[in-house]
Amino acid sequence: MGEEGTKGTVHLLCLAASSGVPLFCRSSRGGAPARQQLPFSVIGSLNGVHMFGQNLEVQLSSARTEDTTVVLLVGLEELTNIRNVERLKKELRASYHLIDSFLGDSELIGDLTQCVDCVVPPEGSLLQEALSGFAEAAGTAFGSLVVSGRVVAATESWWRLGTPEAVLLPWLVGSLPPQAARDYPVYLPHGSPTVPHRLLTLTLLPGLELCLLFGPRPPLSQLDPQLLDRWWQPVLDPLRACVPLGPRALPAGFPLHMDILGLLLLHLELKRCLFTVEPSADQEPSPEHRRRLLRAFYTLVTASHFPPEPGSPEEKVEDAAQRSQVPRACYLVSGPEEPGTGWRLVALQSGPRRLLLLSAQSPTHALRGLATHTLHALTPLL
Amino acid sequence: MMASPISCSSRHSPDELPGDPSSQEDEDCDYEDRVSYSGSYSSASSDYDDVEPEWLDSVQKNGELFYLELSEDEEESLLPETPTVNHVRFSENEIIIEEDDYKEGKKYEPKLKRFTKILKTKSLLPKRYNKKNRNDNELVSILKHQSNQKTGVVVQQRYKDVNIYVNPKKLTVTKAKEQLKLLEVLVGIIHQSKWSWKKSGKQGSGERLVVHGLLPGGSAMKSGQILIGDVLLAVNDVDVTSENIERVLSCIPGPMQVKLTFENAYAVKKETTQPRQKKAQSNTNDLVKLLWGEEVEGIQQNILNTPHIVMYLTLQLDSETSKEEQEILYHCPVSDASQKLKSVRGIFLTLCDMLENVTGTQVTSSSLLLNGKQIHVAYWKESDKLLLIGLPAEEVPLPQLRNMIGDVAQTLKFMYGSLDSAFCQVENVPRLDHFFNLFFQRALQPAKLHSSASPSAQQYDASSAVLLDGLPGVRWLTLPQKIKMELDTALSDLEAADFAELSEDYYDMRRLYTILGSSLFYKGYLICSHLPKDDLIDIAVYCRHYGLLPLAAKQRIGQLVIWREVFPRHHLQPSADSNTEVFQEPEGRYFLLIVGLKHYMLCVLLEAGGCASKAVGNPGPDCIYVDQVKTTLHQLGGIDCHINEWLTSSPSPCLSCADWFLTGSHEKLDNLTTSPILSRLPVTSKVATSPTCRILFGDYSLKTRKPSPSRSSGGSDNGCEGGEGVGLSPHTIPNAVWKQRESQGSDGSEESGALLKVTKKKATLPNPFHLGNLKKDLSEKELEIYNTMKLTSGPENTLFHYVALEAVQGIFITPTHEEVAQLSGSIHPQLIKNFHQCCLSIRAVFQQTLVEEKKKALNRGDHSGSTNSISSLNPVKEYGVLFECSPEKWTDQRKAPPVMAYWVVGRLFLHPKLQELYVCFHDSVTEIAIEMAFKLFFGLTL
Repeated sequence: MGEEGTKGTVHLLCLAASSGVPLFCRSSRGGAPARQQLPFSVIGSLNGVHMFGQNLEVQLSSARTEDTTVVLLVGLEELTNIRNVERLKKELRASYHLIDSFLGDSELIGDLTQCVDCVVPPEGSLLQEALSGFAEAAGTAFGSLVVSGRVVAATESWWRLGTPEAVLLPWLVGSLPPQAARDYPVYLPHGSPTVPHRLLTLTLLPGLELCLLFGPRPPLSQLDPQLLDRWWQPVLDPLRACVPLGPRALPAGFPLHMDILGLLLLHLELKRCLFTVEPSADQEPSPEHRRRLLRAFYTLVTASHFPPEPGSPEEKVEDAAQRSQVPRACYLVSGPEEPGTGWRLVALQSGPRRLLLLSAQSPTHALRGLATHTLHALTPLL
Repeated sequence: MMASPISCSSRHSPDELPGDPSSQEDEDCDYEDRVSYSGSYSSASSDYDDVEPEWLDSVQKNGELFYLELSEDEEESLLPETPTVNHVRFSENEIIIEEDDYKEGKKYEPKLKRFTKILKTKSLLPKRYNKKNRNDNELVSILKHQSNQKTGVVVQQRYKDVNIYVNPKKLTVTKAKEQLKLLEVLVGIIHQSKWSWKKSGKQGSGERLVVHGLLPGGSAMKSGQILIGDVLLAVNDVDVTSENIERVLSCIPGPMQVKLTFENAYAVKKETTQPRQKKAQSNTNDLVKLLWGEEVEGIQQNILNTPHIVMYLTLQLDSETSKEEQEILYHCPVSDASQKLKSVRGIFLTLCDMLENVTGTQVTSSSLLLNGKQIHVAYWKESDKLLLIGLPAEEVPLPQLRNMIGDVAQTLKFMYGSLDSAFCQVENVPRLDHFFNLFFQRALQPAKLHSSASPSAQQYDASSAVLLDGLPGVRWLTLPQKIKMELDTALSDLEAADFAELSEDYYDMRRLYTILGSSLFYKGYLICSHLPKDDLIDIAVYCRHYGLLPLAAKQRIGQLVIWREVFPRHHLQPSADSNTEVFQEPEGRYFLLIVGLKHYMLCVLLEAGGCASKAVGNPGPDCIYVDQVKTTLHQLGGIDCHINEWLTSSPSPCLSCADWFLTGSHEKLDNLTTSPILSRLPVTSKVATSPTCRILFGDYSLKTRKPSPSRSSGGSDNGCEGGEGVGLSPHTIPNAVWKQRESQGSDGSEESGALLKVTKKKATLPNPFHLGNLKKDLSEKELEIYNTMKLTSGPENTLFHYVALEAVQGIFITPTHEEVAQLSGSIHPQLIKNFHQCCLSIRAVFQQTLVEEKKKALNRGDHSGSTNSISSLNPVKEYGVLFECSPEKWTDQRKAPPVMAYWVVGRLFLHPKLQELYVCFHDSVTEIAIEMAFKLFFGLTL
């Protein structure tokens, strides 16, 4: 169960549906974790409502109040047989970091789009080669290079990971405090929900981490340091170039129109996305604001026009009239009435790609052209 | 006892209402003479004074009146030929007995009669019935012992189904306390309930409905199949007893056929106690079933299973007297699917309470899953009461539902003063049942509502209702200055109320009511209004709810008189300004009088108290006021052909049909941004090859050829004919018309060529931004050209559809039914549907912006950092979506279907005044919404 409260306060509440025992409750206020908790009576009422409805075969999914506050009651799939609630609570503590990073203002957008946040390195093929070779030498098919939570390069098998873990693993790596190396047990919600795997991370450069997925062996200590040197020393320069890429996503010197203040490019089939609010960083609005604008716009556009996945079977088949009218693009002008002020947001859908742009200056009639050209330029990258 | 007015059933005897409208008009003109209106109308009959208004008997005790009479031909068309086995004739004696019964029972004399100088003369009835049945060839008495061989066959069956036509719109929902009134006035069956027949029924479940008599002229008698002594068992398969019959009948939403199931009198005698063999449906589903009639079985089942509910709950629970379901003050309907929603009301109550505590704002809606179906529930909280409406998400999107609950609350407040007084009075229950049955029918089966309209208009109505019904405005038809002035003058004359019987001198006493203002509708379009915006919208929402506007649009109303006390918020809200210098609303009472005649409907808001004398008790409609309003409508009778003409060839922007951009394009549009087809479309040679294009130009030429509206007799007659021809049945005629036009040969293409020049000329209009200054210089001719304007830029007209809302005046304009019907096409209707749905979601975003703006305006003093709100997209002022569509059936396998791209753009204007604009245009030319808005709103004033 999750709840979004007043003034940007977000509460996430996890209850054992059968017993009503709170498993954990995390809150954040204005993007930062907060200690403020929901009163126990509220927790009780929420659970009561859920239980009452369940008895009558009615499932409450959401409720709204005036200032668009949203309460989402998501029936969390039951966390496998809960034997000992207290023990489970303790175990859950390990994931607080990850949970809090979801509640907070993240620089990433994978939580919303369910696509892997990526960056485009300048010399991608070199890195790709090094990564594949190293992973093979280390004895795993699953390897990736992650810079501040975004994937720079990954092996074929890594890309084939299911949706939740493909997004969650880089996100987890990005949310953990920096360490030279980790050996972290993970369950893969899609691929291996019951048997834990080991996520090994090695910091190659500050902020740039090498991630590998292993079974029970080999232990971290058995990884040969020479193996690292052999594969990564030759590509040290391209690696260095990757480090500042994190928030930029695009390689330096990529020709973007100067009107563009932020962009989100999604490839819905590959499930990858590029998200940046760096261009023209000296202008208004602030990066946080830009991110919020793009996130809100993505939510709006996805909810009202573009389904999150094109042609997904579970998407309810609407009547023929609906089907034959396919939305292609969408724009929105926000801000005060005076001409030349406010923000313009445009979304463009073309094949598997969807591009969202934030712009300040462009007149509305030029938005579509801008989006089309940008999408064209970005197509080789993703 | 038995106050059973004959009124509604006897109206249609041939000598009372002449068959053709023209003579009816004559009669009505006489009517005017009675109220001594200026002698411009010739008088034919002198003894007219002796006839009391037909609606007088329908006035209820509380003074309310809802009297609707369709024009004769409409009535006939609504009532399909029923295969009757036998017909009924009355002997004089029997009739007289009935008549006596009726007179005896009628103890209650409407108060308002003291205002009329009329004596009641209804003794002519028997003669009329003989006349009515003059065509009948087989005559059988209703009394069973007289039944001849032929009916004998029928009688011997134990049960029989009789289909009869009922029209509840002719009467108001009667008070629950009055015994079995609907059964009499609606169906025409007299059942003497209480005393003499008590022992025959079981106490608990209500007594059996034995037919004790038939009302002369009632539907039951007309059917000829119902005999005295029969027992009414079911209405549309809903089991009925004396307990529930009124409630069941009150659920009949409009004119329709109902199936009555009787136990034959003959059979009853033999075995009264034997249980009925007919399938007994659970009572819960039946009300819903009744609502949609018998003929739409499939849809009925759907609605039956559609969970929908309205509940009025109290949050203040009296813990002392803990009764089952005591928190439910009202709920509707009673069906299985809705039962579930009712049973989980605890969730709604808890959420309402808890969320307000946690977030500090009130809960507005919630969504839940019921049997895998998503249901939205909208909340409306007032003081300690909670109004809930739940509808499936599939049928009603959330933004629409939120608009709807707002409308419901507003309408109920307008009608009853407050939600509490609407829901908490027992006598209102049947009225509310009726109200919400209409409401759900509108929500779940929008197309059914307009069933009598043409398919295209019906489709248009159904697809546009999703947006238009939620707009805070009334559909406006812009008329030329000349007609407008005439209307204004007529309404002003009426409102002044300073002549004849309306003036204070006439009776030398204070006048009963002051006319606050009036607004005139034609075919459901507002054409003139002298009411403040809030009043106008209140009245419009009321009319919309009771389906009056579509009624006036499609069916010629014979006569409509509505009278009720209303509570307009505009006048009843305490003035915010305590300054005594400022005008204070008097502590008066307000009454709404709606009079409809043919396609016209005039709504008048009256005030008692203040300048006029105080209203005492529950005054009914005053004949003088009704007549005066009617006179005004008659006065306007002459110009309705001009208005009709204006409806078909409106001065509003020309529209294009989506299909025109698809037909004839046999090459794929490879690029989104260009559309080479377009540039070729207007070439005259195309006219010869493509039939659709021909229509396009025919259409245009029609517009250019349109005679200028004038009052001169000859010209107006011509215009009237033309207007009627296209206006009344545009969907059936076009083919013939266009073919005619084709046969006129080259003439047509020349015309279109000439027209092209006109369009070109229009395209070179000066920048509309400067038009304000230029306006003075424009000659009238130029203005006329401007009037038939093209909204879009570029050489082509690429506009498909538009809705422009002028929120300050409470009006909106959108293409008329006639305009849309002229376009026809197969893709176009889909486009229109999609347009309205898209606009609904766009508008939902705008509404959020408006809420934020309001908050900002409130918090102007303390500039707290509330701009840092969660929904950071606000304030949104423009929102556009690009769609692509292609023909549905594309048989050519070798080529990809042609694709047409179009924009749906919404624009919100906060300054200088609140306006909303929604346009739909082809992708070929980049449009600037502000420019289009300027053109659309230009000259748009009440």
